[in-house]
Amino acid sequence: MPYLGSEDEVKDLKKALCNPHIQADRLRYRNVIQRVIRHMTQGSDMSGVFMEMVKASATIDIVQKKLVYLYMCTYAPLKPDLALLAINTLCKDCSDPNPMVRGLALRSMCSLRLPGVQEYIQQPVLNGLHDKASYVRRVAVLGCAKMHTLHGDSEVDGALVNELYSLLRDQDPIVVVNCLRSLEEILKQEGGVVINKPIAHHLLNRMSKLDQWGQAEVLNFLLRYQPRSEEELFDILNLLDSFLKSSSPGVVMGATKLFLILAKNFPHVQTDVLMQVKGTLLAACSSESRELCFAALCHVRQVLHSLPGHFSSHYKKFFCSYSEPHYIKLQKVEVLCELVNDENVQQVLEELRGYCTDVSADFAQAAIFAIGSIARTYTDQCVQILTELLGLRQEHITTVVVQTFRDLVWLCPQCTEAVCQALPGCEESIQDSEGKQALIWLLGVHGKRIPNAPYVLEDFVENVKSETFPAVKMELLTALLRLFLSRPAECQDMLGRLLYYCIEEEKDMAVRDRGLFYYRLLLAGIDEVKRILRSPQSDPSLRLLEDQAERPVNSWASDFNTLVPVYGKARWATISKCQGVERHGPELPNTASFATSGPLIPEENKERVQELPDSRALMLVPNHQLTAECFEKTWLSLKVAHQQVFPWQGAVHPDTLQMALQVVNIQTIAMNRAGAQPWKAYLSAQDDTGCLFLTELLLEPENLQMQISVKQNKARTETLNSFISVLETVIGTIGDIKS
Amino acid sequence: MSASAVFILDVKGKPLISRNYKGDVAMSEIEHFMPLLMQREEEGALAPLMSHGRVHFLWIKYSNLYLVATTLKNANASLVYSFLYKTVEVFSEYFKELEEESIRDNFVIVYELLDELMDFGFPQTTDSKILQEYITQQGNKLETGKSRVPPTVTNAVSWRSEGIKYKKNEVFIDVIESVNLLVSPHTSAPPLPCDGVLFELTGRSKNKSVELEDVKFHQCVRLSRFDNDRTISFIPPDGDFELMSYRLSTQVKPLIWIESVIEKFSHSRVEIMVKAKGQFKKQSVANSVEISVPVPSDADSPRFKTSVGSAKYMPEKNIVIWSIKSFPGGKEYLMRAHFGLPSVEKEEVEGRPPIGVKFEIPYFTVSGIQVRYMKIIEKSGYQALPWVRYITQSGDYQLRTS
Repeated sequence: MPYLGSEDEVKDLKKALCNPHIQADRLRYRNVIQRVIRHMTQGSDMSGVFMEMVKASATIDIVQKKLVYLYMCTYAPLKPDLALLAINTLCKDCSDPNPMVRGLALRSMCSLRLPGVQEYIQQPVLNGLHDKASYVRRVAVLGCAKMHTLHGDSEVDGALVNELYSLLRDQDPIVVVNCLRSLEEILKQEGGVVINKPIAHHLLNRMSKLDQWGQAEVLNFLLRYQPRSEEELFDILNLLDSFLKSSSPGVVMGATKLFLILAKNFPHVQTDVLMQVKGTLLAACSSESRELCFAALCHVRQVLHSLPGHFSSHYKKFFCSYSEPHYIKLQKVEVLCELVNDENVQQVLEELRGYCTDVSADFAQAAIFAIGSIARTYTDQCVQILTELLGLRQEHITTVVVQTFRDLVWLCPQCTEAVCQALPGCEESIQDSEGKQALIWLLGVHGKRIPNAPYVLEDFVENVKSETFPAVKMELLTALLRLFLSRPAECQDMLGRLLYYCIEEEKDMAVRDRGLFYYRLLLAGIDEVKRILRSPQSDPSLRLLEDQAERPVNSWASDFNTLVPVYGKARWATISKCQGVERHGPELPNTASFATSGPLIPEENKERVQELPDSRALMLVPNHQLTAECFEKTWLSLKVAHQQVFPWQGAVHPDTLQMALQVVNIQTIAMNRAGAQPWKAYLSAQDDTGCLFLTELLLEPENLQMQISVKQNKARTETLNSFISVLETVIGTIGDIKS
Repeated sequence: MSASAVFILDVKGKPLISRNYKGDVAMSEIEHFMPLLMQREEEGALAPLMSHGRVHFLWIKYSNLYLVATTLKNANASLVYSFLYKTVEVFSEYFKELEEESIRDNFVIVYELLDELMDFGFPQTTDSKILQEYITQQGNKLETGKSRVPPTVTNAVSWRSEGIKYKKNEVFIDVIESVNLLVSPHTSAPPLPCDGVLFELTGRSKNKSVELEDVKFHQCVRLSRFDNDRTISFIPPDGDFELMSYRLSTQVKPLIWIESVIEKFSHSRVEIMVKAKGQFKKQSVANSVEISVPVPSDADSPRFKTSVGSAKYMPEKNIVIWSIKSFPGGKEYLMRAHFGLPSVEKEEVEGRPPIGVKFEIPYFTVSGIQVRYMKIIEKSGYQALPWVRYITQSGDYQLRTS
């Protein structure tokens, strides 16, 4: 944000900072520096006084030092050459007798984020690792990770890694945890820090000395450890038992996840653990911190998916209180409908009914939908409550109740009679599209049992001209035709009027087409109409399918205590997909042109193809170009890194294959015409680290298989395997389509 | 967990202060935060977790501030929230009240603290007692000569520095039980206690062999000792701390029972009658009882009549507060209030806030918990005086109105 008069201000401050009188008076000097920092905090550009600030760092006043270093870290990327001047002071401070100063200087130096700074910081960081003050060691250990990030993640310094591994045995608990964090960053490419048996046991023994952040972190790292024997596994679980009762919710969640993952082959242990943390989760759900409460509620829902009834006796904990924010109330309502059972159904429904008349329309509607989903099991009670709600004649309530009725009738046909009796009169208080559609559908399908159904529909037909939603008109057409089949005398006239309107006056093409379609259908004779339109009126089997959603604990254990349950699984999927697309940004036009060329790859496979690069950390660069000569030269200079055969039947369609390969960013360099024997193709691709993949496809028709040979200019098995699997998917898919 | 950056925003979403810990998320990403928040709020899908592109925002709101952590990783949500609350706690201990003004006035200390609380996105020293030893409010005073290194920075026991000495040594143990209650008007029809009443206790105490649920101890308690002979032995941190917490899910009579009749005559007046009854032992007395009764926001010209205590109308919160200094067990008191209503009714519908009750009953615990003995073992053998105090207080104590 530009700050008014910031240029004058900079000049002023510059003058003040240079003034020897001010420099001599420490208090005034520090005040000027504070003013600089204040302006920086407010967002005005203070990089103009960089030189003067560097000078101010040579002081024994530690607060002044902190301020100056903070300033330097903020503006160093803007003034890289001047910042290098500051390095000298920083280096000197790194050997100050005061450990606070040493730590501060080291931390600031590592946070400079300057190109070329690493050569200066390497030595101080290495010295810091052996400092006698643990404060400095903590900083130095994380400094290693910062240094590695500055380096651009390229090479891993083996000696440094060994040093860090040995520091895992440090006296200071924070140094130990920082070592793990640092190693994790440095070894990201290799799959992170390795937790072997000695390290795992060492960490387990140190657990009680760590603070809550450290404990949570270590619990997370221990997830990687695979105990050798059952005995060891249970020893570990016993050791960690007390952490399930920790006072920090983060540690409890971390411990729970570790238990669930380690005991993945022992369902009874998993259930046991979930029993043990029940109290903690419940306490977290009524925590004073709303955010923690929200996170806990999301996890409760997750647990309920596998263990329905787990929290049933504590249903009162999930009653909403007046002042709670919306997001908590909505989660609680969801939880309530999942833990309902024979004993508490009466109380839960009573409570939910109270919510239905809440001032917030959103919350009221959520409560009605919740009653609707409970109605699948406890139909009679719920239908009665819903019917009573209709009596309130509130627009936002009636529309949701009718929608709930529609879904309910479809799943539980036994309540049709009750619903049909409740419907008359609702039409007056429904205004929105969703509600109207639901009502019209009900009148059409079950109109036989609703005496005034034709008259309600007639009202809709009368006002069809002023109806704004095409979807409602479509629904009206279908419903009226259905009702005509069961009550022809009352409907014939208005059906004619509606069809006339739809065909002659309607501007929406879809509605018009639907009208024409029904008109022609009627011309074919009433029997024909009956045959086509008489669909089933309910489908209770759908309910059975939905109820089977009870999932095993192992299906979500790995997502426990991450953002996934907090976002909700569906939302998380869209978010990660968006992120994928963003990274693939430039390739979008390719995909678009591909999409228009027809359903070449079936939908689900297409997703598989695009997601593969994400999951294995292989990213093929789009628009990568390689000339044929260049390809030939490289091809001849390299050895075959991998050879494999895929099954293949019939002939090849080169265009199809080329296009499919392009979708995953594999370019075709040269290819035989279709039908050539043997058929050959040369492909090339490059990933984001610059690694080239050169591929030869060879098809000998008599063998019914495609032989592929891949060459790589940098030997990396991991990415090679990912590449092969991408290729396999594409070739497999193309093969499938043809066979 | 790992946070890329931490921001403190004012109520309009303008950053007051921020710290970029990792440098992998552009600091300008925060500009998306407020619009996103508004959009979610409009959709009715507001949650303390939002995402924009690759960045996840985890945020909490504290007084008039937003504290936001950004991260790229699939982090551990509860840990990030805990950290943000810890930050709030640390700041509050420094500035008494954490709000926009105190952040602006103390930006130097805020920077200093942010620097120590987290490094490279990982929480470091978060114990405010320890932080206070080397980051002081008196930072403005110039330190001359070599500054002292606080011993805790290098101490193995992270919660207590060595060699703390006071003239007078005292140990206070407060057994505080807080009572939560949520009752609906339907269930109150027969005023049978606890029928359909949600009841919960949380508290802190030192105890021996009592059947308690969900017992948790401070990090300093030696758990092995507790498992063996149910003795709680610990090296206490300096200052206040929560030694132990527990929960009871017992059905108990609500300590203070409220019956209310709120009659609304549209366009003319509202009449409120509230009856409060102390349902605890006759020997005990509840202190500073405050009963807050909701009134319509357009009510005017209040008139009260109370059998004991005083009533006060708080138009800014739309409540009447009836305060009673001391409320002995077994007694029953009455308050009547009368409000005028404007003849022109306003359009929007109002919610039905519950009646809230605040109270404190000393020398009394619902669970009956007792500290049998307390022994202080000190190497140097100087004397320390133990004190034990029992209090039952109201937690989330609400009675819904019909």
